[in-house]
Parts: sequence; C-alpha cells; structure tokens
Amino acid sequence: MIELNNVRKVFNAGKPNEFVAIHGVSVSIDANRVTVLKGPSGSGKTTLLSLIGCMTRPTSGRIKLSEREITSLPERFLTEIRRKTFGFIFQQFNLIKGVTALENAMLPAYPIGEKHISLKKRAMNLFDLFNISQKAYSKIEWLSGGEAQRVTIVRALINNPSIIIADEPTAHLDTKLSQELMEILGRFKEEEKTVLIASHDPMVYESDVVDRVINLRDGKIDGETA
Amino acid sequence: MIFHPTILALYISSILITFMVLYAAFYGVQILRRWNLASGSEDQLILERKTYLISTLLAYLFGFELLSLFLYVFTVDRLHTFFVGAMCAAGALYVNSYGYPALILKVVNFLLAGFWLILNYADNQGYDYPLIKKKYSLLLLIAPLLLTEVILQANYFLRLKPDIITSCCGSLFSKEAHTFVSEMSVLPSHPTEIVFYLSIGFTAISGLYFYRRGKGGYLLSSLSGITLLVSVVSILSFISVYFYELPTHHCPFCILQREYGYVGYPLYMALLGGTISGVGVGLLMPFRKIKSLSEAVPSLQRRLALASTILFLIFTAIVTYRMVFTDFVLEGI
Repeated sequence: MIELNNVRKVFNAGKPNEFVAIHGVSVSIDANRVTVLKGPSGSGKTTLLSLIGCMTRPTSGRIKLSEREITSLPERFLTEIRRKTFGFIFQQFNLIKGVTALENAMLPAYPIGEKHISLKKRAMNLFDLFNISQKAYSKIEWLSGGEAQRVTIVRALINNPSIIIADEPTAHLDTKLSQELMEILGRFKEEEKTVLIASHDPMVYESDVVDRVINLRDGKIDGETA
Repeated sequence: MIFHPTILALYISSILITFMVLYAAFYGVQILRRWNLASGSEDQLILERKTYLISTLLAYLFGFELLSLFLYVFTVDRLHTFFVGAMCAAGALYVNSYGYPALILKVVNFLLAGFWLILNYADNQGYDYPLIKKKYSLLLLIAPLLLTEVILQANYFLRLKPDIITSCCGSLFSKEAHTFVSEMSVLPSHPTEIVFYLSIGFTAISGLYFYRRGKGGYLLSSLSGITLLVSVVSILSFISVYFYELPTHHCPFCILQREYGYVGYPLYMALLGGTISGVGVGLLMPFRKIKSLSEAVPSLQRRLALASTILFLIFTAIVTYRMVFTDFVLEGI
C-alpha cells in the first residue's frame, strides 16, 4: 500500500516564479490494483507520480510505502528502492538510440550486478511474453511505436518490481495499441503488482482493467471514481 | 615567513575547515532542538536535506583535518632552520608560547575528527538517521576546539621572530629540563619496554578476539587509549633513543627528519590510526542494538578492530625492527 499524508510540492520556493504543484494531498493507494491519476495538463499528475516513485522529494508531508516511510530516506536508500520496487513507463519512451532493444531493456538491472547470462535469459523471457523476441537484437530506431512501447514495458519489468508507474503511457499510441497496453497492464494485477497510471486519455481511465480513478485538478484531489 | 607555501596551505585549510564547522554547528543546534523524524513539516524536510549535504562536506573537511596535523609538524620542522638553537620541530615550536598548545590541540582534534568520521559513517548506514543527534553533539564539542586551534596556529605563525634564540630538543627533552615531559624521557628503559610490549600485546589480542567473536569492545577501546599513552611515553623513553643511537637524545620530533628516513611519519600515523580505530570500536558499542544499525555496526566494528590491530602491529614492527637490527645497546642506561 502507498500512503500519502499531506504531501505538498513547491517548485522555486521563495522566488518570484514559485509554483505550488501539489497542495497537501492525502490519499491511500491499494496494492495489487490499477489506479489512475486523471486530470488535465498541469494538474500535478506527473509530479505526484515522481514523488511516489522517489524521483523527487516533497516540500512537506510524508509518503509511506508498505508501512515504511520513504521521504526521509537518504539518497542511497532511495536509489535502492527505486531500483527494486518501481518500474517506470514514461510518456516519451526514453530508450537509448544506437543500442539494441535487449540492451535497453537490461539497462536498469546492470547496477545490481547480476550475472549477464541469467539477466539476458530473464530479459528474453519477457521479450517472448510480449511477442517481440524477434526484435530483441534490433536497434531502437528501427522499431515501430508499438514495439518501442513494449520494450519500455520489458525494461520496467526487468527488476521484477512490485509497483509499475506509467506516465501518460498511451500518449504516442493509436487506439489498438492503447487497448493492447491496457490489457498488458491489467495482467499485472494477476501477478500481484500495483499499477499507477497518470493519464487524461479516456482509453485509459475508462478501461475495464482500472479499479480506481483519482481526479486531480490544480494540484488537489478533486473527487474520485471507483 | 607566513608566505611559506605550507603555512599558507595550513591557513587556508584551517579557515575553510573552521568556517564549515561553524556553519555545520549552526545547523547542528537546530537539529538538536527541532529534529523530529515523525514530522513531515517543511522545516524537518529541509533539515533532512541539509544534514545530508553538511555531513558529506564535513567528512571531506575532517579528512583534511587528519592530514593537517602532519602538515603542521612538517611545516614547523622545515622552519627550524630560521631560528638559532633549533635543531628540529621541537625547538621551532618553542619559539613562542603558541607552538606547543597548537600542536596538542591539533592532536586532540585529530582524534576527535577521527571519532566523528566513524560516527558519521555508522550513521549513514542507517535509513532513519539513528545517530544524528549524537553526531551533531560531538560536532558542537569539536567546533570551539577547532576555532581555538586556528587562533593558536595563527598566533604561532604570526608571532614567529627570526631573531629569537630558542632551545634545542636536546635540552627540552633532557633530565635537566625538569618538566613533566622531560621526566618521562628519563624513565628507566627496561621496565618501559616491558610495559610497552605488554600493552601492545594485550591490545592486539583484544583486537583479534573482537574481530573473531565480536565481544570485548569496551576492553579494546580502553586498551587502545592506554596503548597510545604508553607508546608516547615509550617514544620519549627508549624508542627515540634507538633511532638516534644516542642514549641522551629523547626527542620525539627528530625522527620526522630526512636523516632518519622520515620514519616518524609512518610511526605516528600507525599509532594515531590504531588508536582512533580501536577507541572507535567502543564508541559504537551502545549503538549495536539500534534496529537500523544492527547489521552495519557489528560489521564496521570488526573492520575497525582489525584495522586497529594491524596498525598497532605495524607501529610495533617498525620499532622492533630498529631495536633488533641496530648495533646500539641501550640496556643498563
């Protein structure tokens, strides 16, 4: 379970361009469910995902992850949590051009120091699971949008995280690929993974696999849909 | 004279260290007064971020503080040629009334900086800042001492007068000087040798026992402190004499010179390093049961115990090698 308690995030605090992105948000997100943060552009969805994913720290407030308080953790502990607990799927695919899909997918596992043979085997199993094993040795720039998206999903899963964070995952996908992506994300529930998506795409928040929709507006929670 | 490169290096480093320590002490006071990990207030989160930055900076600065002791001794040793009567750092330090107090304070701060680094390292192993208040309490103790050290050091260098005739180490560490240090210099060599080897032996056994069994931390800590004192007395009493092959020369500084292969530097580094590591084991004993440190601290203590044993044995090996492989015979003096 992820628990946010009065979380506030201010950018450029004390400066003329100070911007309050999140205004004292308190919410609990259940484990093994698909939860969507829905809201217009600038509502604070991505900031909230970054806070939960330990990529940025709140200005005030606390976040608990499975009863463990994470906002006070020193950076090296946060790195460990980011690496082992979260898998990230970004709006921009953030894949590295010039290297193969397989290398891209294995990248987050390199700092752990796992043996290359077992890591490669695990990555290839995931490529099989998402039907892109034939593209494993293709360079990123040769892949279609859908194939690239699947590589980002494999990359997110490579360290077997318990929480998948996806920021506008359908932004660059057509209707068919978006539906396919939602089916894949829905399957994660069966594997006891928590999925947290930020999106303002109806294909996402109206999908059957979604358990809960939390509405955000101007950095505050503006009701929710179960 | 103050434009001597090493003096400038000492000035600049001391000013930087003191400025940073005072800055850190300012936040230390706030941490001691306002730290509350249960709170998610903006103030608390700012303190959490600041302490991470400050402790990283202090770790480097205290690392330099360890080196600055040897730089100070090296500089003073180099300066002795400017003063009539001085043969080594002992005479140069005696030129005015600030030299020796600055040296003593530097040694004290060297030890305290070492203990702070151990405490800081242990604290960084815990996810919940388990030693933060202890760490900053120690910093508040060190800060005024560092400030005093800088003032004494500055006064020493600024008040160096080349026309002063000073005393040489031969008279400062002789029986005729009638000082506490000179009294130690003339302690009978044979009993002092026995006490020295016994203290090293017990400390090494205690260190190895802790390394293997993880027990006896306070004993090792106490023995390390005692060994430091016994070793300093031994240097004055018989160790220096073996290096100079002169029964009346007890100076603890001449061994830092080229004529003696700069052997004083490894000797003092091993002795002080062994002391910091050994005492550090005891320093960490009360924190072994803290949940977030229950694995990290015992492992760190074992490494410190091993380091302490090795360093004390290196010190003893250098001394013993000289005693064994010299034609000079001291016994009976």
